[in-house]
Amino acid sequence: MTPREVVGRVLLYVLLVAVTLVVCFPLVWAFFTSVKPKDEIFAWPPTLWPEVWTLENYRALFAGKDAYFQAGGGVSTAAPPSAFFLDWFLNSVIIALGTTAISTIVSTLAAYSLTRFRFPGQRAVPYLALVGYMVPSIIFVFPMFLVMADLRLTDTLASLILGYVCITLPFCMWLMWAFFRGVPVEIEEAALVDGASRLRVFFEIVLPTAWPGIVAAAIFTLIVSWNDYLFGRVFMNSMENLPLTVGVMHFFDGTHVDWGLMMASSVLMTVPMAILFAALQRHLVAGFGAGAVKG
Amino acid sequence: MSAMDVRLENLSKSFGSNVVLKALDLTFPERKFVTLLGPSGCGKTTLLRLIAGLERASGGAILFGGERVDHLPPGERNIAMVFQSYALYPTMDVASNIGYGLKVRGTPKAERSEKVGVVAKVLEIPHLLARKPRALSGGQRQRVALGRAMVRKPDIFLMDEPLSNLDAKLRATMRGELKRFHLDLETTSIYVTHDQLEAMTMSDLVAVMHEGVVQQFATPEEVYDRPVNLFVAGFIGSPPMNFCDVTVAERNGSPVLMLAGRALPAPPGFALPRADEGRRLVLGIRPQDVRLARPDDPGAVPGTVWMVELIGSERLVEVEVAPKLRITAEVKAEVRAAIDTPAAVAFDAAKVHLFDPGTGLALPRLG
Amino acid sequence: MAPRDVPAGGGPQRARRWSGLRLSETQVGLLFMLPFIITAGAFMIWPVVEAIRMAFLAYNPLRPDDVRFVGFRNFEIILDDPLFWESFHQALVWTGWSILLQTVFGVGLALLLHTQLPAIAVFRGLLLFPYIVPTVVIALNWRWIFNSEIGVVNHLLLRAGIISENIAWLSTPDMAMASAILLNVWKYTPFVIICVLARLQTIPTELYDAAKVDGAGTVRRFLDITLPMLKEVLVVVVVFRTIWTFNKFEEIYLLTRGGPGTSTFNLAVYAFEQGMANLRLGVAAATGVVMIVLLLAGSIVYVRVSGFGAEEKPA
Repeated sequence: MTPREVVGRVLLYVLLVAVTLVVCFPLVWAFFTSVKPKDEIFAWPPTLWPEVWTLENYRALFAGKDAYFQAGGGVSTAAPPSAFFLDWFLNSVIIALGTTAISTIVSTLAAYSLTRFRFPGQRAVPYLALVGYMVPSIIFVFPMFLVMADLRLTDTLASLILGYVCITLPFCMWLMWAFFRGVPVEIEEAALVDGASRLRVFFEIVLPTAWPGIVAAAIFTLIVSWNDYLFGRVFMNSMENLPLTVGVMHFFDGTHVDWGLMMASSVLMTVPMAILFAALQRHLVAGFGAGAVKG
Repeated sequence: MSAMDVRLENLSKSFGSNVVLKALDLTFPERKFVTLLGPSGCGKTTLLRLIAGLERASGGAILFGGERVDHLPPGERNIAMVFQSYALYPTMDVASNIGYGLKVRGTPKAERSEKVGVVAKVLEIPHLLARKPRALSGGQRQRVALGRAMVRKPDIFLMDEPLSNLDAKLRATMRGELKRFHLDLETTSIYVTHDQLEAMTMSDLVAVMHEGVVQQFATPEEVYDRPVNLFVAGFIGSPPMNFCDVTVAERNGSPVLMLAGRALPAPPGFALPRADEGRRLVLGIRPQDVRLARPDDPGAVPGTVWMVELIGSERLVEVEVAPKLRITAEVKAEVRAAIDTPAAVAFDAAKVHLFDPGTGLALPRLG
Repeated sequence: MAPRDVPAGGGPQRARRWSGLRLSETQVGLLFMLPFIITAGAFMIWPVVEAIRMAFLAYNPLRPDDVRFVGFRNFEIILDDPLFWESFHQALVWTGWSILLQTVFGVGLALLLHTQLPAIAVFRGLLLFPYIVPTVVIALNWRWIFNSEIGVVNHLLLRAGIISENIAWLSTPDMAMASAILLNVWKYTPFVIICVLARLQTIPTELYDAAKVDGAGTVRRFLDITLPMLKEVLVVVVVFRTIWTFNKFEEIYLLTRGGPGTSTFNLAVYAFEQGMANLRLGVAAATGVVMIVLLLAGSIVYVRVSGFGAEEKPA
């Protein structure tokens, strides 16, 4: 390569590294803050690299303590919000897994039905789903709340699972639809000729082939159900039933904010997403490439 | 425009540890149509791209008309290139496609339209000038690609398998048109293909390549009649040459070749290894030079008919003369042969080729 | 080819075992579709229909028996409310800037990520990560690093000499809007990157080769080949992102609660406050209807515009 080309490439690389640093900075900074002791967090000027590394913030989180929390008037509990952190974490996990299980199963069945069978009104279904997908959550969160109230499901995890299933179902169905259309019918026909029933063909032949699509749909659903705030805020009341996203906002209830706790909870909320992302990055891009994404 | 010759000196190219071209020396004479022929992966496309300037050589030099062009980007080498997929700019109409090279060089609009118009007329596509590439057929797209090349009056004209995306019938027509195009343009043309029929019908010279090395660089006739090694012999010609293992022996003082237990008189004109009784050679004979004989004919090798295929005015008869050794004869369609019946093949002695099994090289001929 | 073997004991036995489940094609099809139809119908179609219906009612969730039909009254309320128009205007500002920055950065970074630089896969992963971080986490982080007294951003800016005193990032209207826009750009540029990158990867390299042979330099190749082929993707991306950004709730609410005061309200926050704070579900629903109408208008724009950009196949 000519010297000019080398310089060009080096400059590009420098640019790339610089941009990546800027983009990752907030999360990196949050991590560093979470491992600093209290006095260092509030030191001015702030230190970039922690002088003292400590797990005290995480320990406080798990033990339910808060160095700064004082119950003021109008706050619903005398205990600091962090006392409920583990409850919130467990809730979010249950909600995420429950939603993903239901959403992927229902959408897979529906998409398969769309591609392999014929019945009246079939054509309209995916487009109706698309319409539902395009409507922003703020519009149907209140009516959905009323439905949950009628079913006596408010303030339960089931309400959130149902709610998230509804907003993730359309996209999952589109995704599975696209994947099933890519599975050649000949494979199934060969199995049918060999004597397998439709159900058998579905479980033993079609599902394994559509697995990448299912994974992409599952990832999408996990992300949405883990990250959402609005539904949790509207559907849930009691502190111990909140999902993580709604719960951590209660850290602002006290007279002062314990930033160490906040950053520690930030990190803990992000870590599962990071692991998911790192492990399945390829599927993610493929899945989002298959259709427009709600962002 | 003045055509130039292209000279490659000690050219080599590697991608990382993968050596694609090794110390190549080759000259493409001016105004000649030279084909780079070989199977996939032999390096022919890489070589073309080096000449175009789309890749940089790892070593050696490339000269156009005696001057080095290695440092010049493709746009400054005054070359034109037709790609396998034609690479027409999809968002521009045909007129803009053809005129793009002129536009980039700052040719004023009026002059551009004029030149594009002239070219379109020659190629018989003036009615397509306003269309977009996606509205054209395969043959039409190729003409546009040719137009793009023609309008800039290049010194060197490069073609990378331009016919492989066309159906068989169109290919046959386009072969002639491309050759005609080359003659009218009066350029030096370098053509890359894996189809030996294209190479044989269109070229002045053929460079047969295998694994980055030019096996033989000669006229089509020479490459057909006097292949220099096993690879070239097997690659050129359709149906492909028959190869059999034979042993040199002696019968009644004369050299013979033992094939499947039969002694064939040694073909004249070869410098055969004499003293080595039992030396193994490879005998090559094209199906066109094999005829069906009676089993008791002298010089015939007996066997059983394994397969018969009618290919129009000729018939291919495959005779199994020994386990796993089958020889194909191309005979007139009127000659009948039934599968699983006894038959025999005889060779035209003047057309026999002999090769050394170890080196693959053809045995030197006398005289 | 060897003849196919009939499976031993295949025929009648199998029919007996599966006969209970031998449904007609249509029935199986409907069966598979049923869970979807039930869930979607009950919890998606119904709520949306309800949402529209509620726009014509006065509905206080704490007094569910006192629901009254009020016709277009709710719409009058919001159209007369200066806060509504303020929210609308702010929504436009927020959306406009967000989309502009997302598109510019998105295309730029996609081009950067499309190169063959070493370890590019790592960078691709890192730059796409913001998309999946929970909005709450980002809002928390932003509040921390953009804190006026002890936030690190102010510290770095002071150190670099760019500012002489701390900026009140979240407590002045302009800066709060800027912070919210920044957060939105940070989180959603990856989406633009993914779409543009996917398209870049389908542009055949032979087009660039042909352009090089024609004499086009790097800038020329970008303008004449890359950009026209990105046009279609960009149109789709811009329209979709505009529709979604306009209606976003969490990105603003969690960072600023719509403040300071109401300076970062958009229509979604306005609707939320009407429902949760003012307990006027009817008014909230009316706002929702307005949002749906705007959404439809945007979708029509999309259909119109995308109809002109049919997919080009390379020649």
